[in-house]
Amino acid sequence: MHPMPHRRASPDLLARLWRSVQRRARAWGRIVYLGAVVLVLVLSPSSYAGAARRRLLRQLYLETAPILPGFTVLAALLSLVLTRIVVVTALSYGLTAYALEMVIRVLVLELIPLTAALFVALRCTIPAGAQLAALRRAGRFDALRRAGADPVRVELLPRVVAGVFACITLAALSCVVALAMAYLGVYGFNLAGLPSYTRMFGHVFSPAVTLVFGIKTLLSSLAVALIPTASRMDGDAGVPEQESELGGLARMFAVLLLIEVASLVGNYY
Amino acid sequence: MTNRSDTPAPDTDTALLRPVAHLELKAAALLLFTLALILGSALYLLYARGAFEPTQTLVLVADDSEGVVVGMDMTFSGFPIGRVRRIELADEGNARIVIDVARKDAHWLRVSSVFTLVRGIVGGTAIRAYTGMLDDPALPDGAVRPVLRGDATAEIPQLMATARELLANLQALTAQDAALASSLGQVRQLTERLNGPGGALQVLMGNAQDARKIVLALERANTVLARLDGLAAKADTQVFGAKGLLPEMQATVAQLGGLLSDTRASLKKVDAVLAEAQAVGANVREGTADLGALRAEVEANLRKIDQLVGDIQRKWPFASDTELRLP
Repeated sequence: MHPMPHRRASPDLLARLWRSVQRRARAWGRIVYLGAVVLVLVLSPSSYAGAARRRLLRQLYLETAPILPGFTVLAALLSLVLTRIVVVTALSYGLTAYALEMVIRVLVLELIPLTAALFVALRCTIPAGAQLAALRRAGRFDALRRAGADPVRVELLPRVVAGVFACITLAALSCVVALAMAYLGVYGFNLAGLPSYTRMFGHVFSPAVTLVFGIKTLLSSLAVALIPTASRMDGDAGVPEQESELGGLARMFAVLLLIEVASLVGNYY
Repeated sequence: MTNRSDTPAPDTDTALLRPVAHLELKAAALLLFTLALILGSALYLLYARGAFEPTQTLVLVADDSEGVVVGMDMTFSGFPIGRVRRIELADEGNARIVIDVARKDAHWLRVSSVFTLVRGIVGGTAIRAYTGMLDDPALPDGAVRPVLRGDATAEIPQLMATARELLANLQALTAQDAALASSLGQVRQLTERLNGPGGALQVLMGNAQDARKIVLALERANTVLARLDGLAAKADTQVFGAKGLLPEMQATVAQLGGLLSDTRASLKKVDAVLAEAQAVGANVREGTADLGALRAEVEANLRKIDQLVGDIQRKWPFASDTELRLP
């Protein structure tokens, strides 16, 4: 009696697996396609003309400016705490000579850019994705198409560009803040340690490390800006809205993790 | 979910259309801020990597460049004055470490400077420069210098081998049947015998009888010594006593002193006699000088007499004997 349900379940399971794989492939394909479209639009001059530019600037400003002060404070606090922990630990092991280098490597190179990307995802691009889904359900995309406009250019492009911009700005700002906080945490309020600090900074940021850092920041900003928004652009009839949102988030985290791992491999192997 | 997502549509729409005051200005400011951040970071990085600093080149030649990485510092008295730009393999098979030395710090390097490549047990390799004579001429640009290699970890295998040898020796020493253990056992026996009756004497002589003989010999030696003591006292009185040998010797010496003074007086008298004899001799010499003159006078007188006699003879015809005799 027992094999029967198995035999019945197997085609069912296979079909479910096949559907799931298909859905995943479709979602990834959609993201890659929309990403390519957005990149092409970013490079085309017509995206920066007239009303499109106004829309772009508006999105840019609204997604970056409000989160700047809060994130600066957060980055400063995080940097100060981590610097303190690393320096105190290094002191207890008698390895103070390596503490500052470790702080810069851990904070500026790895941790803070990732935090910036996640912060932008949570504050800007995931809400932007929800907005896009709401607009789609409200029929705005159809209205735009009927009026002869492209929803990708009108609605998606400004949000993606704004997300990338916010991500890069926050990463740059947080790196500067982390550098300043690490210096203050170790040397306090004086300029005596500046030459050796500068030298050590130059030591850590070798050309290869700088290149990896730049590429990582750019790719993670793209992932954070593109995946949560592009995955909400067109609804799948067979997938509930909530699942699509969660799927987008999971994809974004997976890509971020991959980028981080790749950057670590690039830096330390 | 569907209810919730349906409702925000008009809100989002209105939010999208809400105008932002001075949008262009704000957006431009934000763009400029980001640009300034990125450019500032890039410039700081270039400055930190020494891109704006004039440098001179120094080539260090090492037989092994292990642990040397591009970008590492060369220190002088603990201060970084240069950094490794390139590591290359020379035609002779040596490693050439090309170092950029900042011009403002290059005056620390002189032609007599010494460079070392030290690898610590913890931490990376360090290139250090030492300058003993700061009055020497400055190191020229592009100078090629050998680097001395000091490796703390290279000594570890040697150290381990020595330590192992030492431990093996120690193990051999402390083994159950080792010489040290048996020596210690014998030392214990010895100390037992030392603590026992007879003590060290028995240990030295081997048995109790010989030890007793030694004691007897010692006693007899004691009595001999006592007798020698008496003998010495007697000899003392014989030699140094009131009528001993020494006082008599002293008297004899005093008499000898008197005798010597008498002899000295006699000799003085002899001296005077000799002086007088000298005077007599001088007189005799004068006398012999006068004798010559006297003889000449006598000869002249004799010749006169001879002449006179001749005259008389001629005048006195009967005189026959003409011979004259001297007195």
